[in-house]
This record gives sequence, C-alpha cells and structure tokens, in this order.
Amino acid sequence: MIETSSLLLPLIILALASVAAALFGIPSLNKRLTITQVCWLLALAPLAALILILRLVPALNEDAIFVWTWAWLPSLGINLGLYVDSLSALFAIIVTFIGILVVVYAGQYFKGDQDAWRFMAYLLLFMTSMLGVVMAGDVLTLFIFWEGTSILSFLLVAYKTQSEEARYGAFRALFITGGGGIALLAGLLFVSSVAGGTDFATILSSGDVLRSNEFYWVMLALVAFGAFTKSAQFPAHIWLPGAMSAPTPASAYLHSATMVKAGIYLMARMNPALGFTEEWFWLLTLTGGVTMILGAYLGFKQNDWKALLAYSTISQLGILMILIGQDIPEAYKALVIGVVAHALYKSALFMVAGIIDHETGTRDIRRLGGLRKVMPFTFFAGTLAALSMAGLPPMFGFLAKETLLATAVHPSLPPLLSEVFRWGAVLAGALMLAMAVMVIWETFMGKPKDDSVHGHEAPWPMWLAPAIPAVLSLYLAIAPGFKDEAELMTGAAQAAFGDSEKVKVYFQLFHGLTVELMLSIGAITLGTLIFVFRRPIRTQMDKILPNASFNALYRWVLAGIDKGAFWATRVQKGQLRTYLVVMLTAVILLVVGLSPSLFLLGWAEISLPDLSYQGEIVVLQIFATLLVVGASAASVFLRRDFNAIMAFTASGLAVALLFVLAPAPDVALVQIVVDILALVILMLALSRLPRKQRRAAQELTIAVRKRRKIPMPDLLVSAAFGLMITAITFANLSQRPHVTITPYYEQFAKSMTGATDIVGAIVVDFRALDTLLEISVFAMAGLGISMLLFHSAQKHGDEGSQMDDPLGTKPSKFATFGIGGVRESAFIRVPSYVTLPLAIVLAITQIMYGHDQPGDGFTAGVIISLAIALWYMVFGYQETRKRLPWLRSSRLIGYGVLLAIVTGAVAALMTGSFLGNVDFTASWHFMPKGFHISSSFLFEVAICLTVLGSVAHMLNTLGHPRER
Amino acid sequence: MELLTAVSIGLLFATGIFQLLRRNVIRSAMGLMILANGVNLFLLTTGAYDGTSAAYTTEAGVHSDALPQALILTAIVISMGGTAFVLSMLYIISARYQTADMDEVDNLKH
Repeated sequence: MIETSSLLLPLIILALASVAAALFGIPSLNKRLTITQVCWLLALAPLAALILILRLVPALNEDAIFVWTWAWLPSLGINLGLYVDSLSALFAIIVTFIGILVVVYAGQYFKGDQDAWRFMAYLLLFMTSMLGVVMAGDVLTLFIFWEGTSILSFLLVAYKTQSEEARYGAFRALFITGGGGIALLAGLLFVSSVAGGTDFATILSSGDVLRSNEFYWVMLALVAFGAFTKSAQFPAHIWLPGAMSAPTPASAYLHSATMVKAGIYLMARMNPALGFTEEWFWLLTLTGGVTMILGAYLGFKQNDWKALLAYSTISQLGILMILIGQDIPEAYKALVIGVVAHALYKSALFMVAGIIDHETGTRDIRRLGGLRKVMPFTFFAGTLAALSMAGLPPMFGFLAKETLLATAVHPSLPPLLSEVFRWGAVLAGALMLAMAVMVIWETFMGKPKDDSVHGHEAPWPMWLAPAIPAVLSLYLAIAPGFKDEAELMTGAAQAAFGDSEKVKVYFQLFHGLTVELMLSIGAITLGTLIFVFRRPIRTQMDKILPNASFNALYRWVLAGIDKGAFWATRVQKGQLRTYLVVMLTAVILLVVGLSPSLFLLGWAEISLPDLSYQGEIVVLQIFATLLVVGASAASVFLRRDFNAIMAFTASGLAVALLFVLAPAPDVALVQIVVDILALVILMLALSRLPRKQRRAAQELTIAVRKRRKIPMPDLLVSAAFGLMITAITFANLSQRPHVTITPYYEQFAKSMTGATDIVGAIVVDFRALDTLLEISVFAMAGLGISMLLFHSAQKHGDEGSQMDDPLGTKPSKFATFGIGGVRESAFIRVPSYVTLPLAIVLAITQIMYGHDQPGDGFTAGVIISLAIALWYMVFGYQETRKRLPWLRSSRLIGYGVLLAIVTGAVAALMTGSFLGNVDFTASWHFMPKGFHISSSFLFEVAICLTVLGSVAHMLNTLGHPRER
Repeated sequence: MELLTAVSIGLLFATGIFQLLRRNVIRSAMGLMILANGVNLFLLTTGAYDGTSAAYTTEAGVHSDALPQALILTAIVISMGGTAFVLSMLYIISARYQTADMDEVDNLKH
C-alpha cells in the first residue's frame, strides 16, 4: 500500500478540462477557436491522465497498490478514497486511452457546430466520473462517481434535446441505471457494515466474513442488481439500444468502451469479497448466458449500424459477466483480455459507424454498399476491428474468444450446463462473427444499393481515431514482447481473481490442437455459414417474434409506478384533521413500540402528595395544577369562543403560578406577558373572522354536542396521547435527581457573565446563539404574518388587501379619532396616554437589571407592545400610527437583528467567541450600581427591539380594526 | 405529587390535542396554545432536581434547576410566534374559503 495524493491528479486534470470546455461557451472565446481546435487542446487532458497512470504501471507490476484517503465526514466515519491496483489501472488506461481518441474524433464529428462545447464539457466530466469509478477506494466514493456516470450519460444521450426519441432513451437509461444505483448503494453499505469498513482494502480482505453472513444473498442481489443494470444485463439491457440516439462519440465512448464496463469492473472488483460461492456462480452465469445469447440473436436482426453494435455489446457484456462468475483462473485471464479486446474493437467500430453516418447520411446497411473505394481508410479500420470482433485469428479478439472457450470447457461445470454453456458460447461466437462480417460486407463490398447515398473519405484525424485501436487489436496479438502489458493484465486478473499466484496472462495465438481450438473452428465455420445464408436467416428471424422486445416490461414497471402513485394519492383526503390524527397515532405507536419499558418506570414509588402543613407550597401547587387542567378543560366545554378564550387565558396564568412555585420567576414573568399577548392576539383574530362564519362554526360545535355524538377517534387519540405523556412525565419525575450540566452554569454564571440570574445568564450568554435564532424565528413570524395578510391577501383579492400601508412605514394622512371617529372619554384616554411611557420605563428597567433580576429583553419588548395594543384600542389605529411615528415594525426588527449580530461580532473580536460576554464599561466608575453596558445588555436591547417590531407587526396586521 | 403533575400534564396534552382536532378553527388555535402550555410544564419536569429557591447566585438554599427554565423561555417565545403565525393562516383560510370550518378546507388535495 502506497499512500499518495498524486492519484487525484488525473481526476483534477479531467475535471478542469471539462470546465475549460464549458468556458468555450463564452461567446468571445467561441468566436476565436473552432470546435476542432478546441478538441485538439482538450485531448491533452486525457493524454496527461493516461501518462500519469502509465507511470504507476511499473510499480503496480511489482504488486504495489496505491491508495489515497481524505476524511470527509470524520464524525460519521465517511472518507473519500482512491485505490489503484492493476485492475483499476487497466480500466483507467482504457478510459483515458479511448478518451483521447474520442475527444479528437468528436472534434471532427462536430466540425462547424460551435455549440458542441456543451457536449465536450459533459464528455470530459463523464470521463472524470468514469475514471473516478475505476479508481475509487471507498464504496461511497465509488457510488458518487457511479451516479455521476449515470447522470452524465443521461445528459449525453439527451444531447439532441429537440429529439423526442433521444429524451425518451435518455430517461429510460437514467431510470434503469439510477434504480440500479440505489440498489448498489444499499448493497455496498450493507457490505461495508458487515466488513467493518467502507474502504476496499478492508472489504476485499473480509471475503470470508461476508460469504458466511446469513444475509450474504441480500448483499449479492443488491450489488449485482446495480452492476447488471449498468452493464446492460438481461432484462435491464433494453436501455442500451435506446441510448444509441446519443451522438456517436458518446456511444463509442460510454456505451461500448467505458460506462457499460463499470458493472463488469464492479463485479470483478468485488469478486474476492463476494465471489466463489454457488449463488455467485449461478447468478452471474445464468444472467450473463441469457444476455449473451439474446444480444447476439437480436443483434443479427438489426439493420442499423449502431443498433447492431449495441446488441453485440450487450452480448459481449454477457460473456464478460459469465467469466466473472467462474471460479477458475482461466476465466479471469479471459476476462481481462476480453475487456481490452472489446474496448478496442468496439470503440473503433462505433467511430467507423459515426464516419459512415457523417459522410453518407445513413447507417442503414440495406442502403449502404460499395464504399471500399471511396472510403479506403475507414474500410481498413472497420475491417480490422470487425475481424477482431469476429474472433478471427490473428486478431486480439481471437485470443479473447480462445480463452473464453477454454473456460467453457472447464470440467468444474456440471455436465449438462457445461454442454449448454459450450454450445451457447459457440453459437454466440458464430452470430457475432456473422454480424461483424455482415456489417462490413454490406457496407463496403458489393455495389451501392441506393443511388442517393454518396460517400467520401473522412478527414484524416477522423479515420485515424478508429484506426489506432483497430491496429492495436492486431498488433497486441501478433507482436511479441509486450511484457509490461501482459504483466499489468496478469495483475488485473489476479486482483479480480483474488489470488496472486494462479492467473497468468500471456498473449499466444496458437496453443496446439486443443479442444478450444476445435470449438473455435466450429464457431468460425458456423458463423461463416450463418453469414452466407444471412438473407434467409434474417427473413426467418423477422417472422418469428418480429417485435420481440423487453420494453414491455419497462413500460409495465412505469405504468405500475403511475398506478401506485394514483392509489397513494387516493388515500389523501385533503383534510388536515385526518392527517393530524394519522400523525399523532403514528407518534404514539412509535413511542410505545420503541420503548415499552418506559411505561413501567416509577410505579413502584407511587405516593400521594404530602398535605401536612409544612408543605403549604404543595397546597398551592395542587390548586394551580387543578386550575390549569380545569380551565383548559373548560375551554373545551364552553360554547362561546370568547368564553373559551378567557378560560384558556386563565389556564395560562395558572401555569405562570406553577412556574412561580417551581420556583422559576423569570419563566413566570415571561409566561404572564405572553399569556396576555396571546389573549390580545386571539381576540384580534376572533374579531377578524366574520360573525357569520363564527356562528356557523359554533353551531357546528353545538350541533355535534346535541346529537350526543362523541367524536370517538379524536377522543381516543387525545386520551392515548395524554396517557403516553403522563407515563413519560412520570418516568421522568421518578428518575430524579439525574446528571445534568446545570452545576456548571451555577458555578460560572457570575464569574463568566457577570450575572446573578442563572437563567438569564444561560439565555443571553451561555446559549446566546440559541436566543439569537429564537428572536430570528420570532421576527420571521412577525414578518411572515405581515406578508401573509397584506401581500398574499392582496394578490388573491381577499379582504385583508383593503388595508393600507403594508409594512407600516408611513402613517396615513387621514387621521381619525378613536375607533369609528368617536373620541373615548378622557377618563380612559388619560390613563392610556400614561401607560405607554410607563411601560417603556418598565421595559428599560427590565433590560438594565435583567441580569440580576427577573425580566429580560423579551418581556421588555412584549410589555411595550401591550401598551401599544392598548393605544390601538383606545385611540384607534390611525391616531396611534400618527402619534407614534417611530413605530415602524420592519425597521425595528432590522435594527434589532443587526444590533444583535454587530454585538456578537464585536464580542467575537474581543473574546474570540460569538456573543461572548464583554463589559464595555467595567472601568467606568460613574455607572449606576448594578448596571453595565455589556454585550449582554446590548443583546437584550436587540432582543427588545426585534420583539417589539415583530409584535407590532402582529398587532398591525391582525389587529387592524375595520373602522367603518 | 409526581403522579399528580404527570397526570395533569397528560390531561393538558389530551385537552390540547382534542381542541386541535375540532372543526372550529379558533378552537384549533386554542388547542395549539394549550399544547404549548403542556409542553412548557413538561419541560419543567425534565429538571434534574427540585429546588426551594430561585436560580440566582445571590439566593440561599437549593436552587431550582436553571437549564429547563432557560429552555422553557425559548419555547414560550417560539410557540408564541408560531401561534400568531398559525392564527394569521387561519384568518387567510377563513377569508379565502369563506368558512371557519376546517373540514370544508379540503382543497389541499387539488
């Protein structure tokens, strides 16, 4: 294991290249360079990445493994990691090498289309993701890149956004691979939790633990499902032909050489951890086998170059999947050779298909023909690649097929399956050969079939791009002395096999007269026969099941989802009360279900209250408790809403009494002012509901009662919830005293914050950030109400819109006196006048001494607001606004929050902690006793301003009297 | 006494939820406020210990637990803001649907 961050470099280079491609979308750059020139430049990025990876190869051949980890979310134990061994490097080389060719090729393909920068940006970003998939060293890293390839594949397939077909194909591909991705994530997380780590090093070394786990098959199914969807295995293969509506460079890259190999890579990577079991063997062999035959069969039917290549890719992927399923070293030799051979010839063929499409305007082999003369270089590249695909000697594809057949004759297979497998492989090979020869023959040989189709040779970089992998297909097989390559592939096969000794990869075409060779000859003969009789065979194939396709399955799944959504929405009644009942029931079931033991706690020490006289407080407590419960119960039974509100307020005051007895004077004070505020606001809201509606609602309440119909579900839910809370509270109370951090606050309140009021110290100092958020919430409530009632209402033409000055910024010119233009009696007016200044004085005192006495900025704000509410009542809305021009709610809120943040920031500068305690006047001797202008004081002022603004908003909007 | 407290808080919750589920919107709002009271009292019971004097460093005797009190302060303020907001929403509903009956407001599903 070698730890090196240089592994990141190829990924960063490719990502930057993608950004560079996107920058080419800027018009001024776009005008200066052609897309072809840009692609030449962009091709340097995969080239650099390739070189960087190739530099690792010598060390990899010495069995080194390169890793890199970075703690991403250390608290959750989630890392980003890279892991490069021979297997990763082999795939990374394919990704970057084909990447160079495709970028250059795309430059020619999109010649003249200056908007293709979008395609290039996607393509390079895809390349980054793909490289990330094969280099990932951690399951989560793998998953992120994996999803990246799915999404970018979507963008590339749907590149021609105007085309309905492209969008449909892209969605289908995303739907299938994305669904697989979710399964994969679940599977990989499952695997990591069993293995005890998310990094591959841990997972790969815990194969025995994983295989012996009783949920092994779940992990296997999930991971395999992800890999199968990505690698287009039956029945998820349907997305691949649909994805052919992508521009050809994308097809050549994503859908032959790289993305579809991600599943292969993943399964090969996981083989040491999950492989070597019966389930693994059967799952992969059967899926791969069906895919192999089906792909070859359907491929032979096609007339479109790209469709034919897509199906042959499916078939080839099936073969690779079979190979991973085996537990013999030869299979892994076949796997690595197969992966490389396929990447080379299939990308070449796709690029040839793109050239033909580009130069002649069609890809239909029924219309093409005789192109060898006009397109000699393309013909040459295509033929070489097709020979490799056909598996004919002396091509690399022949090697791949040889090794595959060697696997097929392996004696460890059950006898019957062995036969099926062998003949399946021969048949698939024969069909593949027929397909390859047919597509070349029909296109380049014979005479032109359609006079309207004219071809001419592509520019040299365009045909060179497929020619390079095509020639390599030949060269790798016949040229001797590729020691490093062979060693790398050996290493890759060993990594996939999980055993470093058994697999040896060597490139040798002729092994003597073996069974494999005989089978190979059989396949070639059969394939030649199929090719010769292609016309009658293809006609026959069209007759049997002409529309055989598994798209029906996909459509069925989609229709099922739609139907499920339809039924799910039927359940929604749209009545809030019903939802509430469901939610509350769920809460009850969850709490009771998850902690049934909670309900047994404390019942042993049950005791009656001690009523002997030393406990006079207990008597008061019992009185207050009964008052709380009785008054709130009364609010249910009282018929008139007004009376019910009164009862509720009484209950709130009794709660305040309980707080006093706790003893918790700060809380009691706040409870009292809030209770009064609630009364005012409830009354205002009540007055805003039209009387007719209220009466209707009230009659409803009465009617229900008259019919003596008890609302059973509501009653049951309320009772159950009450019981649950009772049990929890009782358990809570009977467990006391328990451990707490209060002693810390008690100890440091004075020394750290200068406050004798511990509660106040916690609110404005220890947990000041909480309080800042709290007043922000309160401010938002005020602003939200104002928005709802003025702006939203205005938009919908509701009644509220008739009110003036939305944010209370400008008092109206038309002053009225009191409500309805009638002055109140002076006996009421004068005390009301006095109330506001008194309230302000009271509030200032609260703020000044809040640190040592009950009261704080919040109560101060509410007290002033209540006085204002009184003014509204007595003087009327208009007059109040005129007399109090400073009462601009939104500004007050703004000043308050700003002051809080500035105070916090200054404190942060001075003490290092936001809203930390600073006494700005510590050295001033002339300050009144017990009063300091400290950060806490300023914070209290800020709270007061914010609360005042917010409550003023509530009163303004809810309480705007309709002065008629 | 513990049992009495527990039962009364349970009753407050039950009353609050029952009110919340009424069709009359004003009653629902009241239910929410009763629930808030119940929650605040419940928070008080989460104190680690009982005290006989207020939580001031200048007071003698065992102080009551200051931490839940601070939490209640926050809770009161936020529930007040929330209730006011809910009330304004109820008002909007009543203005737009021309009713104070929750069951007639079932347009959410459309």
